[in-house]
Amino acid sequence: MKTARKPKEKWRKRDLLGWLVMLPSLVLFAFFVWEPLLENIRLSFYSTKMYETVAFTGLKNYVQVIQDVDFMASFKNTFSYTLYSLLIGFFVPMIIGVLITETVHLKGFFRMAVYFPNIMPTLATIWIWSYFFMPGPTGVLNILAGKLGMGPYEWLNDPHWTIPLIIITLTWKSAGSTALIYMANISSISPDLYEAATIDGAGIWQRICHITVPSIVGIAKTMLILQIISVFQIMYEPMIFKNGGPNNASISLMMLMYRYGYRDYNVGKAAALSVLVCIILVILSGIYMKATAKKEEA
Amino acid sequence: MKKKLMSMILCTAMVTAMFTACGSESASNTEAPAETTEKEEVTSEETATSDSASTEAAEEAEEVTITLGIWPEDTLVDDIAVHEGYVATMKELHPNVTCEPAYYKYATDTFMPLVESGNCPTIFESWFTEPAKLIAQGAIADITDELEARGWLDAMNPSIKSLLSDKNGRVYGIPRDGYALGMMLNVELFEETGLVDADGYPIYPKTWDELAETAKTIKEKTGAAGLCLLAKNEAGGWHFSNIAWGFGATLCVDNGDGTFTSDLDSPEAIAAMEFVKSLKWDYDVLTADPLSEDWGTGFTQLGTGNAAMYIGANDAVAQPTQVNGLPVDKLAMCPVPAGPAGQFSLYGGTPYFFSKDATPAQINAALDYLEVMGKAPVATEASIAGMKAGAQSNVDNGVPVLKRFPCWVDQDVLDAEAAVVEEFSNVDPKMFQSYFDAAASEGLHLEEPGSTQDMYKELTKVLQAVLTDKNADVAALMKQADENYQTILDTVFAE
Repeated sequence: MKTARKPKEKWRKRDLLGWLVMLPSLVLFAFFVWEPLLENIRLSFYSTKMYETVAFTGLKNYVQVIQDVDFMASFKNTFSYTLYSLLIGFFVPMIIGVLITETVHLKGFFRMAVYFPNIMPTLATIWIWSYFFMPGPTGVLNILAGKLGMGPYEWLNDPHWTIPLIIITLTWKSAGSTALIYMANISSISPDLYEAATIDGAGIWQRICHITVPSIVGIAKTMLILQIISVFQIMYEPMIFKNGGPNNASISLMMLMYRYGYRDYNVGKAAALSVLVCIILVILSGIYMKATAKKEEA
Repeated sequence: MKKKLMSMILCTAMVTAMFTACGSESASNTEAPAETTEKEEVTSEETATSDSASTEAAEEAEEVTITLGIWPEDTLVDDIAVHEGYVATMKELHPNVTCEPAYYKYATDTFMPLVESGNCPTIFESWFTEPAKLIAQGAIADITDELEARGWLDAMNPSIKSLLSDKNGRVYGIPRDGYALGMMLNVELFEETGLVDADGYPIYPKTWDELAETAKTIKEKTGAAGLCLLAKNEAGGWHFSNIAWGFGATLCVDNGDGTFTSDLDSPEAIAAMEFVKSLKWDYDVLTADPLSEDWGTGFTQLGTGNAAMYIGANDAVAQPTQVNGLPVDKLAMCPVPAGPAGQFSLYGGTPYFFSKDATPAQINAALDYLEVMGKAPVATEASIAGMKAGAQSNVDNGVPVLKRFPCWVDQDVLDAEAAVVEEFSNVDPKMFQSYFDAAASEGLHLEEPGSTQDMYKELTKVLQAVLTDKNADVAALMKQADENYQTILDTVFAE
């Protein structure tokens, strides 16, 4: 009996110390994350004056959000952003990571070069790209197209291209940092594997397909869900590029939420929409976890 | 045990956070800004002495601090010097008042955090589209009693007063200026095109059709856009409403029972939108990307010679000149062109609002400051000096000194203003004559009733569609906008 209790007590002491170390972080999390999160959920069920609640209104804010004339456009667009970001932006960092890893000369330079856009402020990036995408003969891309006897094009003003082009700028800015993660992952692969493959006569393409790619699948899965969560909350880019236009072609759910909160001063409605976004992301994450768990089990 | 311990810690953390949050809120109410404490002291002392015979003397002796959101931004050094002069006059006339600069340019995304954090300036400028929203949110002070005590309520232009009041007739702001939208002209581009008469005055377009032709000529001869049209945000719809009125449209109908009916898809409104579409696809006279143009960039395009015409008002003449470098004698204004149904100009103004936390003493001190600036309905020595200082600053900075639209109906003030404008006039009045003549006629039009900002938003969406798609179906887009706006009206006014 005595011998059975001893390890448990030891474990308890050790555990307590761990919790004590974590306590400051937990308090900060509680204050900066959980409490605002719960407060936000509470706000979503109330009518508000500034940030103060006035009266409990049940699901009224949610109904108003879903019936809003801009809701469906922003809902569809947000999924489009996510889809295009996966089509355009998911594989780019992986390719960059693999290519730089395989590079022999100027590896440091390329590493810095791909990461560089990431250190630029978002606003500056958007302004630079705005000059590139400017329609008419003064836009940088139209000048270049003109030299080739093409254009001028409308670029972001063409509603069919607004979201894909915004995603391209987003990828340009953030692919470098994701590529660094892939590079770190690739560099942890044992060189013996590559050596053995080379001895067996494997070329670069075979080495990538049979050694590199299988090794980064795990991290790629994590990056996939992180990218979905991140892009689903896109706001600055559509807001600054085209203010959600043309004719709502680029408005996103978070941008709509910003309008409720900061243009209309309707905090309750903004809170309701943010809760809806949260629910959608929880569902997407759940689907992802279930899908990946099944594969892992298999 | 592990679970229990974890639960306990989490609960403790949550409760701590909740208490901390609550504590900070109450702290912000009671102790946060020194200014607030000061205000409360002032209020309590005022209350305490209200029954005594020496109330007024006590109030006058009371130290009051006001924060001035109407202070000029840091880069406008000359304007700051003018305000420092106002502060010196305040010190002389009201030695108990301390004025603190707190430049604030109203923006919807910064205002609410500013108010909630207790940092809203005692007095600040806003837009005429904002009062209903700000009053409903309890974000600004009711100043009816202070205005009544000064006799300013009756001096206010009745239509402006109604815009600044709630449904009970309580007043929440006062006007800085009245304005009527007109067409600003870059005279340099008109001269370059040869569109000037024998005396050198620009030959301005009197109808929308003439505007299209004039703009086309300017673009062909100079390469600059004939017209800068806005389509980035709600300002696009705001400008478009002037065009629509000219075509005979009424965009929203007040049913008189607290409900409103949208009429964005009337044949007249559709015709106006078709005209806008033709400016892009038939005449091709707009700037490269109207979807990137907002109120500020429009002035940049005009002031820097990228556009020859832009819808603007007399209260914004500093934008193309002082801010964007257009010489003072190269700016002219004419009326908004007429459509088939006549000529209409939107009439509005820039209001002053007061912090919801401001005490009566602070509101009075801020009103005294406006008197010193010459922006109040009184023609005292100090206020006339304020008007002159403002006019001199305009002269020094190459800003046209123009008369303003009567937001006050006090004749002494109007006479004093007219005298100051005449004394400091730095432009040829004929460059602005047609604009002021039109604004004095029947064509002034207040903003449409209803949820106006939402109407502008819906109209801007249509503008964006017709300016980016040559084959856009204007009637279908306007029908969709009409349905959307009616949904919004039904939601907003059902509450």
